[in-house]
Amino acid sequence: MTDAIQPAGRGDRAIISVRNLVKYFPIESGLLRRQVGLVKAVDDVSFDLNDGETLALVGESGCGKTTTSHCIIQAQRPTAGEVHFRIGDTRPVDLTKMEKADLKKARRNIRMIYQDPYSSLNPRMTLLQIIGEPLKIHGQVKSQDELRARVSDLLRLVRLDPSTLNRYPHAFSGGQRQRIAIARALSLSPKVVIADEAVSALDVSVQAQILNLLKELQRELGLTYLFVAHNLAVVKYEADRVAVMYAGKIVEIGETEELYTCPKHPYTEALISAAPNPDPDTKNRPRIVLTGDVADPGNLPGGCSFHPRCRYAEDLCKQETPPLMELSAAGEPSHQSACHFADRLSLAGIGAAELTTDRDAA
Amino acid sequence: MTIESPRETGAAVASLPSDDLLLSVRNLRTHFFSREGVVKAVDGVTFDVKPGEILGIAGESGCGKSVTSQSILRILPKNGKIVDGQILFRYGDQTVDLAAEDPDGRVMRDIRGQEIAMIFQEPMTAFSPVHTIGNQIIETIRIHQQVTKEEAHDQAVEMLRRVGMPNPARNIDEFTFNLSGGMRQRAMVALSLACQPKLLIADEPTTAVDVTIQAQMLELLRDIQADLGMAIIMITHDLGVIAELTDRVMIMYLGKEVEAGTVENVFHRPQHPYTRGLLSSIPKMEPGRVEIEPIEGSVPSPYAMPSGCKFHTRCTEFMAGVCEKRDPPLIEVAGGHEVSCFLYGGREDLE
Repeated sequence: MTDAIQPAGRGDRAIISVRNLVKYFPIESGLLRRQVGLVKAVDDVSFDLNDGETLALVGESGCGKTTTSHCIIQAQRPTAGEVHFRIGDTRPVDLTKMEKADLKKARRNIRMIYQDPYSSLNPRMTLLQIIGEPLKIHGQVKSQDELRARVSDLLRLVRLDPSTLNRYPHAFSGGQRQRIAIARALSLSPKVVIADEAVSALDVSVQAQILNLLKELQRELGLTYLFVAHNLAVVKYEADRVAVMYAGKIVEIGETEELYTCPKHPYTEALISAAPNPDPDTKNRPRIVLTGDVADPGNLPGGCSFHPRCRYAEDLCKQETPPLMELSAAGEPSHQSACHFADRLSLAGIGAAELTTDRDAA
Repeated sequence: MTIESPRETGAAVASLPSDDLLLSVRNLRTHFFSREGVVKAVDGVTFDVKPGEILGIAGESGCGKSVTSQSILRILPKNGKIVDGQILFRYGDQTVDLAAEDPDGRVMRDIRGQEIAMIFQEPMTAFSPVHTIGNQIIETIRIHQQVTKEEAHDQAVEMLRRVGMPNPARNIDEFTFNLSGGMRQRAMVALSLACQPKLLIADEPTTAVDVTIQAQMLELLRDIQADLGMAIIMITHDLGVIAELTDRVMIMYLGKEVEAGTVENVFHRPQHPYTRGLLSSIPKMEPGRVEIEPIEGSVPSPYAMPSGCKFHTRCTEFMAGVCEKRDPPLIEVAGGHEVSCFLYGGREDLE
């Protein structure tokens, strides 16, 4: 499998390489807490996060996108698999094998931003304390004056007024709080930022501000983002590449525009079709409305986990789990799908209504 | 008019401005009173709903869209009061002003569930966890209709079938915790529609669910509406949902209507700078690179409301000496398309 993921010539730009990552949670029951099952939250996930790119992990609740990000930063220790982290030309290190002290150093370079800026910021700490804390913990500042100067710079970086550094989070709106959370994440000049639903709790007008801010910061500081989200329109705007997850597995991964216009997995097709579009003209477009619910990761169907909801499913899908396979020719940007019929199906992407005739003609 | 106005239950205190209307909200003001001051959550909102039509109410947090719906059903929190305005509703062959009714009185209790029903964001809060969904639907039916338990049971099964429950005869005896998220949403719709109301208010019903479940929910609402013909007020912050489902839309900002019209007019020919800003700040599901342009700043605190046009502090078209002076008038720019902005008139005496 690993070979299929990383053909020759690809993966050299990877700053983080996730290989065969697995995270199972035991289901315990009874007085003796005997294990009666497993929740397969993340089940054999492999991908590369390239230097300077934004890779989005998308999927519905319970698909394992957040657990994957937690396993990368080792907030949760994975059950199996490797997470290689490399800066510049140094030798990659496997975060899953690291001791606590070494991890602390590595985590300086991988920071997180969370969904809800109302719960991720301590209401009893000032901005100086919130943003300055990582600097102190990692011994990056020598004096209080230096700390104030650094925090002021960080506030300016996220377009907040540096004179507010003695104020508390309650004085700020949701969007401003998310800027504070971003300033804290950037305080140690990390290489990688993991944004877990970072704009989902914000109003649309403010969401757009934060999306643009993240892009500007990426350009200014050369950041690499792992962007965990469920909103497909937001992901389309923000990400260079997209990995679609379903029931603990990556079912499709490729460049954003390619994946949205020519999806190669029936689940991606259904997600794109279901996403509401703010254009009344598309009101009566044909939609794929999936029946049933998201697969239960504690009780997965056999074969391809998506087969009970898939309109193209055949007998093979019930028996064999399809591996993630490369679909594009050598030299072209990678596009992988985990569907037995990926190369045969002709699936509809965005703007499909106009595309149907083109495809027929071709 | 104040909240102390006529209390004669069921009395026709006013008449609807037009015969083909189901609901007419006139100049509604709902304020909240707290130690920090008065929050004018809804401050002079007027709109109509025709029988069988789907109206969307959209806006960001704090715009008053949910308080509007709570005012109609008179289920406001204790410190919330309707201080002015009328909520005229066609009730049988007469018209009732819901704003003047006693929230706990006979008329309101008859109307809630029977004439106007509501579905909420979180289905778990709509149901009691210790009763089966069947019990709760049957209870609702028997409160409003003179039917036997068996008849109510059959009606409940029928309604569960209509909302697409896989096995209605068995599902009726299930508890909400046994149902998946999508099934719970369906059960909630069945509960709200049990008495075949004339008006369904849906308050962010698709916000807490996944994309594929949201698509199921929207399809269900479309089908059920075509099937039963009730009117729907869809309250959401998601302009995608508005475009997918509704016929007409009203955009709100800080308790005021900023623009209203057919979905086509408002989305394709937005007039108010706020509507334009909202539409340009959402990423689109369209091929190719589409830039987004955020609205500057953030929604002001409800305790420090701007004077004049509430949007003037963030507006790119701000006209000093006009916009902050007084409320902009509501101006009709095309048939049924109205905008509350000085750009379209009403500023002559100020300049």
